[in-house]
Amino acid sequence: MEKFYDIVVIGAGAIGSSVAYHLQEAGFSVALLEKKDVASGSSSHCDAVGLICDKLPGIDTKMGQASIDYFGVLAKKFKYDFEYNPKGCLYICETKPEFDAASEYCAKQNADGYPLRMVRTKELTEMEPYIAKDLYGALYTPSSGSVAVNPYKLCFAFVHEAKELGLDCYTYCNISKINTNAETNAVESIETNYGTFHTKKIVDCAGVWAPEIGKLVGIDIPIEPRKGTNLVSEQTPQLCFHKILEYGYMMSKFDSINFKRAVSPLVEEQNIAFNLEYTMAHNLLVGGNRLFRGMDTRSEIETMKAICERAMRFYPKLRDIKCIRAYSGVRPFVKDHLPIVSDVDSVPGFYIAAGHEGDGICFSPITGKFVKQIICGEPTDFDISKLDYARFEKSKAMAS
Amino acid sequence: MSIKMTDLLVIGAGPAGLSASIEAARLGAKVIIADLNMKPGGQLFKQIHKFFGSSAHHSGTRGIDIGRMLLEEAKSAGVQIWLKSTVIGIFPGGKVSIEREMDDGTTELVTLMPKELVIATGASENAIRFKNWTAPGVMGAGAAQTMINVNHVKPGNKVVMLGSGNVGLIVSYQLMQAGCDVCALVEAAPKVGGYAVHAAKIRRAGVPILLRHTIIEAKTDSNGTVSGCVTAEVDDHFNPIPGTEETIDCDVITIAAGLKPTMDLIKLAGCKLTFDGPFGGYVPIHNEKMETSVKGVFVAGDSTGVEEANTALDEGKIAGISAAEALGLISETDADEKRKEIWNRLDSLRMGPFGQRRKIEKEHLIDLYNKEVKEQKAFA
Repeated sequence: MEKFYDIVVIGAGAIGSSVAYHLQEAGFSVALLEKKDVASGSSSHCDAVGLICDKLPGIDTKMGQASIDYFGVLAKKFKYDFEYNPKGCLYICETKPEFDAASEYCAKQNADGYPLRMVRTKELTEMEPYIAKDLYGALYTPSSGSVAVNPYKLCFAFVHEAKELGLDCYTYCNISKINTNAETNAVESIETNYGTFHTKKIVDCAGVWAPEIGKLVGIDIPIEPRKGTNLVSEQTPQLCFHKILEYGYMMSKFDSINFKRAVSPLVEEQNIAFNLEYTMAHNLLVGGNRLFRGMDTRSEIETMKAICERAMRFYPKLRDIKCIRAYSGVRPFVKDHLPIVSDVDSVPGFYIAAGHEGDGICFSPITGKFVKQIICGEPTDFDISKLDYARFEKSKAMAS
Repeated sequence: MSIKMTDLLVIGAGPAGLSASIEAARLGAKVIIADLNMKPGGQLFKQIHKFFGSSAHHSGTRGIDIGRMLLEEAKSAGVQIWLKSTVIGIFPGGKVSIEREMDDGTTELVTLMPKELVIATGASENAIRFKNWTAPGVMGAGAAQTMINVNHVKPGNKVVMLGSGNVGLIVSYQLMQAGCDVCALVEAAPKVGGYAVHAAKIRRAGVPILLRHTIIEAKTDSNGTVSGCVTAEVDDHFNPIPGTEETIDCDVITIAAGLKPTMDLIKLAGCKLTFDGPFGGYVPIHNEKMETSVKGVFVAGDSTGVEEANTALDEGKIAGISAAEALGLISETDADEKRKEIWNRLDSLRMGPFGQRRKIEKEHLIDLYNKEVKEQKAFA
């Protein structure tokens, strides 16, 4: 069967469903193609917070803040409730060196006008009565810069609202081929189990699967799957009152900073970054880690043990709370830790919005807006030239 | 993290698991059998009634005695029996993690890397949903049977049983033996599901069997626990007929609505499944060695399709022999001969109106395996 659309968006995770929504809202006729179901990949195997305090000062933070603010706008605008829940965040500093580094970061953000502040042990234990009492302090971000959403419902909300505007969503859609013009290499059509979709524009929002789509038009998209694991607790009275993360991990993550946490070999080897969240369903979400395991999303017992070990160090009471399950997902990792949001010079009409690694939920609203602005030829809200796909071709050229 | 090695890990110490571990251990395998319960034997220890069938299949013997016998055999064959040991997951690398309660009440997480694995996790009871079906006092018939026959606790005084299959009939009788008053047996079908001999016992005891009826609501008292049961007649499509509601005074509602195979660990092991209605739900496809689409992972008993203790015993034996063969402890020819004998015996069990159907389904699972599994996945 022949179908005709202005734009075809591939992938119905947080990014793809937001992109589809924004393009549909802009008046295009849009088809959203999804290999499985809405929110069946990384967007349902993650946690779901948008923060400014895990972003570098400057443009990253600015974009993060804009996206977080945009969640609030969408929550009011959408009929579909995605459990928008602004709540403060604490980045726990286990030791003085961590606290000092966090203070420096905090000062920079304060200079840009973000109301972050440092808290010491006493205040921290008042804010979080169940936290370990021997921690040096924390970096506190108020709810204006820290928001939780339900990631499944976020995707459903974008798709639902877009459908109201006329979006066609094709789930369990297998793409076998993308046809391009013999002379110009411009996008012409997509062949699927639903028939042929004729379109001049394709947006690849397939996250860790984006490279598979890229291959169909002969380009190499350097996204790798990076596995993350979360544990789910039984339902329990409220154990924590903020989004909790550990600051030491942030420090050890960046190679430029020569910092090692005092953790066990298991925690080190499993690359554990403790974070904790109390959900609206009264379970705790306990994370997390990052490992390269290809597309294997099975949870590993060593990871689970290491997460528990690290979590109990910060919240000793977790010892008495049962873990009922674990889940793992793959995050779309890009070497320079920046997503790809741009067109592709060699394939006119082919666009990429993928590679957000752990920031996909947070950046989904603004990414949808960026793609709309790029396709409409409007200036983007921020200078996103460093998210350009061309950066890889340039570095390749330089290497050779 | 410490990892223990063993030849064979059997998960589930019911009839299938016990007989698998006995066969493999007798052939020289180092076997650990893990079960989350306090006692081994699975459902056998609550079966105080005598078995039907041929003498090769313990006819005339009570389930509880078969359980005792298997336990002795397992011990003398050198099987290590780990009780109060819950398998919490099967992980990449062929790792099986077990939360094991120690004698002092503390728990320990042990990770095993068995060369071969038999998963014999049995089945769990189906629920029927009606208003207040989650209220305390509503329970599975099997759960009530465990309470009275294993733990010697009366679930209540006045019971209404839903479902007239053999489980519903036998448990109703045993509840009466335990001193409960069985007020009624409710069945949606126009005739009793189980054997006439069991139904006759119930009728003789004066229990009304309400055919073409269902339960639409559990009445609860101020504590929220069951205080009564609202029944209604059903039409030909099993929909309740308005105006036929009647309330029975009771404090327990037991549901005997069949069982479904327990698939969690089999799924985690990566075994290929198929949906099989007569077998109770999703089941793993397997070959004549009881081996699944994952190399070194064997299955047996109700977790490969709900049947009965006798078939579970025999399938367990086959799984045990095949695991021993995979370990190189018995030649293929010898193993084939042993398996053939058991399959023949199983055929004699799978006769009659219910049995014939199960024979067809079993053959279907093996056919599917032969068609769909071109190459087994590695257990890793």
